[in-house]
Amino acid sequence: MRNLILFIRRYFNLLLFIAIEAICLNRVFSQNPFQQAWFLQFSEEWMGRLYQHYADVMQYFHLKQVNESLLAENARLRNQLLQDFSFPDTSRQLIRDTAHHRQYAYLPAEVVNNSIVHASNYITIHRGKLEGVHAHMGVVSSQGVAGVVVRASDHYALVMSLLHKDFRLSVRLKRTGDIGYVRWDGEDPTTALFSDIPRSVALYKNDTVVTSGFSVMFPPGIVVGYVEKVAHQPASNFQVARIRLATPFSRLRYVYVIENLQAPEQLQVESNVVSP
Amino acid sequence: MSELFKNIIRFVLLIFVQVFILNNIMLNGWVQPYLYLLLILLLPFQTPRWLLLMIGTATGWIIDNFMHTPGLHAAACAAIAYLRPFLIGMLAPQGGFEDTTRSPSPATMGTGKFVFYAGMLVLIHHVIYFTLEVFNFQATPYLAMKIVFSTLVTLLLIFVYGLLFFEKRPRRR
Repeated sequence: MRNLILFIRRYFNLLLFIAIEAICLNRVFSQNPFQQAWFLQFSEEWMGRLYQHYADVMQYFHLKQVNESLLAENARLRNQLLQDFSFPDTSRQLIRDTAHHRQYAYLPAEVVNNSIVHASNYITIHRGKLEGVHAHMGVVSSQGVAGVVVRASDHYALVMSLLHKDFRLSVRLKRTGDIGYVRWDGEDPTTALFSDIPRSVALYKNDTVVTSGFSVMFPPGIVVGYVEKVAHQPASNFQVARIRLATPFSRLRYVYVIENLQAPEQLQVESNVVSP
Repeated sequence: MSELFKNIIRFVLLIFVQVFILNNIMLNGWVQPYLYLLLILLLPFQTPRWLLLMIGTATGWIIDNFMHTPGLHAAACAAIAYLRPFLIGMLAPQGGFEDTTRSPSPATMGTGKFVFYAGMLVLIHHVIYFTLEVFNFQATPYLAMKIVFSTLVTLLLIFVYGLLFFEKRPRRR
């Protein structure tokens, strides 16, 4: 207290001066409209800047926290990216019907790789063993026959395309019921050859060629193509027709894998006949 | 005539001259002489500092009330009243000025020192006053011109005042 009094006595004039100036300046800035407006603007501006600097400094202390939350958010968003997910088709919808005995089931699958330009073309589909696909299953598109599964991994299956030099398909002329087979000659991915039709059978343009159902892979009656042009072979009892394939191989996106529920039984019966 | 009486006369006279004559002089807006602050300059050497502050502030306050400039002159006058003893202490010879009952003048301080003393305080006063008055830092050249010309004219008026009232030579005791 004594020191305070000493301090005040010692600096009395300075303190008095400061007090007087404060009073005067207060009067200046409170009673002159121009200076008052300026002062308000000035103080607002500088208080704003001060707070800005304060916030700038303070945010450094929160950087770690902010970084962590951003990292967490990034990780969360990355985990939501669709491209990082693999969606093998697992859908399987069967209608139970006690009056009929189901033989075929259709399993939808997405085409992930496909070629049409080679002599041996293959289609890769995103549905594998774990989703019920195995070798020797037929593959059809919504328009017609597409190929046969030759190999299946857990989530993928390799399909021999109809556009493959070794592909043979037993077919039937829908109008007359005469059988033959279809193979691809490697020329045009939109056409194939329909062979072994007896000469007695009259072929017309746009006759529908469907699967025969003789193989265990395809049910009977699935469209393969339509007769385009008949080529008569003079030295043969059979005729060959060029057919327009029903499946648009160049723009194949989704296919169905056909599961023959009675295939093991049929194969077993047939092997018993053949084997001795 | 006692120093007190002389100062009172001077107080009334200078404020009268300032308010009724000099405030009506406006040369181009640049020259606004403020001769009244001479009465702060001419208070006796021995005036206590708190009294100097009080008189200075009161003078400014009165001028403010006449000129409708609340606070401006009071702030400037308080500043020069506060700084005056420091300037005198700086200019004083060893042991201080001989007669502290008298006022600063060319006769008591020497002409050079008095001109410096008056020039400094007038300049400080004008800088503070015009800065507060103009209060527009985009117009700094205008402000500087106003300060310089007004200071020169105020000093000229102090010189005229000196021709009229200052004693020619130191009075011997």
